[in-house]
Amino acid sequence: MLISLNWLKEYVDITADAPTLAERLTLAGNEVERIAQQEVDFDGVVVAEVKSLRPLPGSTKNQIAGVTTGGAAVEVVTGAWNLAVGDRVPYATPGSRLGDRRIETKTFLGVPSAGMLCSAIELGLGEDAAGIMILDPGATPGQDLHALYPRDTILELEIKSNRPDLLCHLGIAREVGAIFNLSVREPKIPKTRSSDAPDLVRIDAPDGCRRFVGRLITGITVAPSPPWMQARLRAAGVRPISNIVDITNYVMLESGQPMHAFDYRRLTGGRIVVRRARDGEELACLDGKTRRLTAHDMVVADTERAQGLAGIIGGAESAVQAATTDIVLEAATWEPRSIRRTARMHGLRTEASSRFEKGLSPALSLPAVERAAALVAELSGGTATRASDVYPVPLTPATIELDADRIERVLGVRVEIADAASILERLRFIVKRAGARLQVQPPAFRLDCSIPEDLVEEIGRVHGYDRVPSTLPGARTPVRDLFERRDADETAREVLAGRELDEAVTSSLVSADGTPPIAMPSAAQAVVKVKNPMAENRDALRRSLLPGLLEALALNARQDQGGARLFELGSVFWKSAVNAVDEPQALALAAHVPAGGADAAVAELRSLQATLATMRDRFAIPATAFKQADFPSENPGVFAGFHPGRTGEVLDDGEPIGIVGEVHPQLLAQLGLPGRAVVAEVLFDRFSAGGGRTPQARPLARFPGVRRDLTVLIRGKIAASEVLQVIRQQGGYTLRDISMVSEYQGPQLEAGARSLSFRLHYQADDRTLTNEEVAAVQQRIIDGLNARFGAEVRS
Amino acid sequence: MTQGVAGELERLRASARERIESATDQKALEGLRVSLLGKKGELTTILRQLGGLPAADRAAAGAEANQLKDEIFQWITDRMGGLEAKRHTALGDTEWVDLTFVPNPVRRGHLHPLTLILREVKAIFSRLGYEVALGPQVEDEFHNFEALNIPQDHPARDTMDSFYVEADDLLLRTHTSPVQIRFMQSHKPPIRIIAPGAVYRRDATDPSHGSQFYQVEGLVVDHDIRLSDLKGTIEYFARSLFGPERRIRIVGDHFPFTEPSIGAAVSCGICGGIGCRSCKGGWLEILGAGMVHPQVLRNGGIDPERYSGFAFGAGLDRLAMLKYNVTDLRLFLENDVRFLRQF
Repeated sequence: MLISLNWLKEYVDITADAPTLAERLTLAGNEVERIAQQEVDFDGVVVAEVKSLRPLPGSTKNQIAGVTTGGAAVEVVTGAWNLAVGDRVPYATPGSRLGDRRIETKTFLGVPSAGMLCSAIELGLGEDAAGIMILDPGATPGQDLHALYPRDTILELEIKSNRPDLLCHLGIAREVGAIFNLSVREPKIPKTRSSDAPDLVRIDAPDGCRRFVGRLITGITVAPSPPWMQARLRAAGVRPISNIVDITNYVMLESGQPMHAFDYRRLTGGRIVVRRARDGEELACLDGKTRRLTAHDMVVADTERAQGLAGIIGGAESAVQAATTDIVLEAATWEPRSIRRTARMHGLRTEASSRFEKGLSPALSLPAVERAAALVAELSGGTATRASDVYPVPLTPATIELDADRIERVLGVRVEIADAASILERLRFIVKRAGARLQVQPPAFRLDCSIPEDLVEEIGRVHGYDRVPSTLPGARTPVRDLFERRDADETAREVLAGRELDEAVTSSLVSADGTPPIAMPSAAQAVVKVKNPMAENRDALRRSLLPGLLEALALNARQDQGGARLFELGSVFWKSAVNAVDEPQALALAAHVPAGGADAAVAELRSLQATLATMRDRFAIPATAFKQADFPSENPGVFAGFHPGRTGEVLDDGEPIGIVGEVHPQLLAQLGLPGRAVVAEVLFDRFSAGGGRTPQARPLARFPGVRRDLTVLIRGKIAASEVLQVIRQQGGYTLRDISMVSEYQGPQLEAGARSLSFRLHYQADDRTLTNEEVAAVQQRIIDGLNARFGAEVRS
Repeated sequence: MTQGVAGELERLRASARERIESATDQKALEGLRVSLLGKKGELTTILRQLGGLPAADRAAAGAEANQLKDEIFQWITDRMGGLEAKRHTALGDTEWVDLTFVPNPVRRGHLHPLTLILREVKAIFSRLGYEVALGPQVEDEFHNFEALNIPQDHPARDTMDSFYVEADDLLLRTHTSPVQIRFMQSHKPPIRIIAPGAVYRRDATDPSHGSQFYQVEGLVVDHDIRLSDLKGTIEYFARSLFGPERRIRIVGDHFPFTEPSIGAAVSCGICGGIGCRSCKGGWLEILGAGMVHPQVLRNGGIDPERYSGFAFGAGLDRLAMLKYNVTDLRLFLENDVRFLRQF
């Protein structure tokens, strides 16, 4: 919203400078986003009266104007032909300045021209370059033009959506009056009988129109509006068109009520019908476009055709034109929902629609028509004749009770009841004192106040939030335990950062069809689709963090950042059976192995497994087991995107809770990721057992333990976990701990053979174990492994 | 005979002294100690002869030998100390290491700036006794809109254009405020929570907008909560996060779910509040807030006549941008490690 300070000063005598005014308006909730100085840049330009006009000898383009600034006439050559004797025009005297241009006496075809007459565009007062700017007839010759056109300051305000009444100069003037405690001069609205022509307007769709005021004025003359009005409109960002159109815009920018003027003679049947459009009905609009309407759209029609899209834009057919003599002025109040819907449907937002959408008060429309009619009479003549005000359900003003205690209870500061009443009255509330209480009626132009808190807000923002003390809520705090999972998050992050993984945050919105199906096996198979995506590749919610992380690895590889290692902790979205969406927390890890091939990938895979195990260790969860993924022969199914020989499921208490493995080369090719990549994804709540356990201390061993190494040579795809199981079974009570030390496969062994080294820790609680005892157990283990796997064992 | 032992002791004294003085390192001294005083050492050899002496002579010679033993021991110790001192003096040359040759720091993983800012926010509010509450990102219209006084066709929905998902009436939450309703419905006052998380709006992507961004919501409900409490909380929060020298400005604002509504800005850290290219007239908007609207309390199952509350909502990404000088919001979701490793 652009507010002209010059215009504002018509209603309120502002003494503060523009920055102070802007600051105070902002504090009160009307944010001033910008203060702009209008570009009016001239010196020495005065008002002159045209006394004579004669052709310039030898020229068909120019003429000589005799002008006076009060004394003797001087001659000025001009190229414009819109002048008439008696006109008041801007005259740049010799020695004057227009922007960077110095004006002197110049000679045209032998005739000296003492300065020049100026067009609006030369003065920066308008866009009109065709003719000399014709000033108000009341302007006094010799008067400095600055006196008529003081340099204006424009405030750009952001008005909150609940205050459409502030989208106008009078509204802002009232705010300024309330803030600075200044009186506000409201424009005089002539009171006329308003319903002496009930036949002029008919409302057929009262659910879309709360009030319609129409007024017929005959015998008007369409002409440009006076310079003062044009200047104000321009300052507020509206292009002047003609006196009638300008008046409707002027009244809107003054009072907030959008208006329209119809050429009465173009209205078939001579009356206005407010109704819903017929499906498929067409309307040629003022912006030159023809729109096809639906039965949802409200229109202002004559007895046959739609003549305007209600509250949004007028129709071309009945628009006011140069030859128009009879007009109907419209000021209506439209149902916000209907306006919103139509404006959206047709992709058309106008000054009018943006006001109506927010809900204007019906109280504005009658005074607006009366004000406009008075301006029409003043500026374009004519006779205001019949008026019609259709207002099916008039508003009933609400009364809100308020007392000083309530104000203090909400704001935390004591505002005396008299001060509160004064603030409300400055804002045009009607206030009745009833002892310590106030009975308050909101002003008719506001619809946003219905409860005491609304009034407290008015008092607070005008009284000043800077006068509210700073306190903290009392010491009673709730005691609940919501920190469990949070701690697990932070613990996981610490471990992961320590393991040289960087944290990523990827988009939840992904492509439904373009996202590779890689995910932990328990993920829902179908993605949750977005009904109204903004982009085709963002039309679903992610079911796994892995595609996003892999994409990030590829992006980094392209940026010459190969070998990135990333993790993400975040929600994934799984469609559940009952038309709902589950949002489990997932943790995913992804590491790029740009070089080194299969062996390097194995090393990275082992590192990932170790990272997972380290986190579990930090959660004080004793063991992390992995199970070789069992790929179905035909189709990888839930293991899509994974390497069939290098993928395992992560187990918690024997149950799969995630996956770890190398990415299938086909998927890497699809992603354009060179080298190899290894990834893991787990259900975080299960993985962290819901938040991490507290470690529990055990007594230290009183007797020394014994360590023994065991190297097992096996052939074929025998899982280490099975070997481990046999060792554990045979090891019995004194075998306390087994760790996997190393794995070898290579030239020193026959093809298909693999050696696994374990470290076994024996311990008894009641004695020092003897070598013989341990050797017996070791032998039992060796025999067991041999029997089960045909393994050769060295200890 | 006595003469013989005494003479040997005397000769040993002279030679031992000379050999100790001329030893040049600790190892040689250690060798001398063994060869002079050891079990098969020279002094021991002489002492063995004492047994053959008359008792009277034996005592004198014994005393003499013991004295020599002490002397030799002392000479070795002194010489040892002298050599050590000399070695220490020479360390600057013998063991010089160039400490301006700087090794790389140990490679560590870097946490995302959104995690770091959230950690700070959580730490500040946990000092004030707040809990963390979470809510679903896929929300229903009741919690996201209606319960917050935003009925269908409310103008506020214009600024919160939402993504709907295929299930009925479900959408991606446009703000973290629905957590307020969920928490009030499931907990009795006193309530003191923050609710961080991702939110989604159908906004075109540019350096300061994206369709996915992050907020942190705050809600306090108790007897007699006032706007002054909100103001104090905002000041404590903003100064804790941005520095105690910052000034805080509270302005009027409008949200459908708070009444009165306010906005808070912190003085710009770059220009100090004079006004510069990075701020709006010296101020940086950080959050919107207000007293919880009585109807919203009711929608959460709380009696507005008994309780009152305040709520606030801040953009986590905006806080992170301000605090860490990030100028483009899109960097947060791009995961370029050159960006991530700056934190």
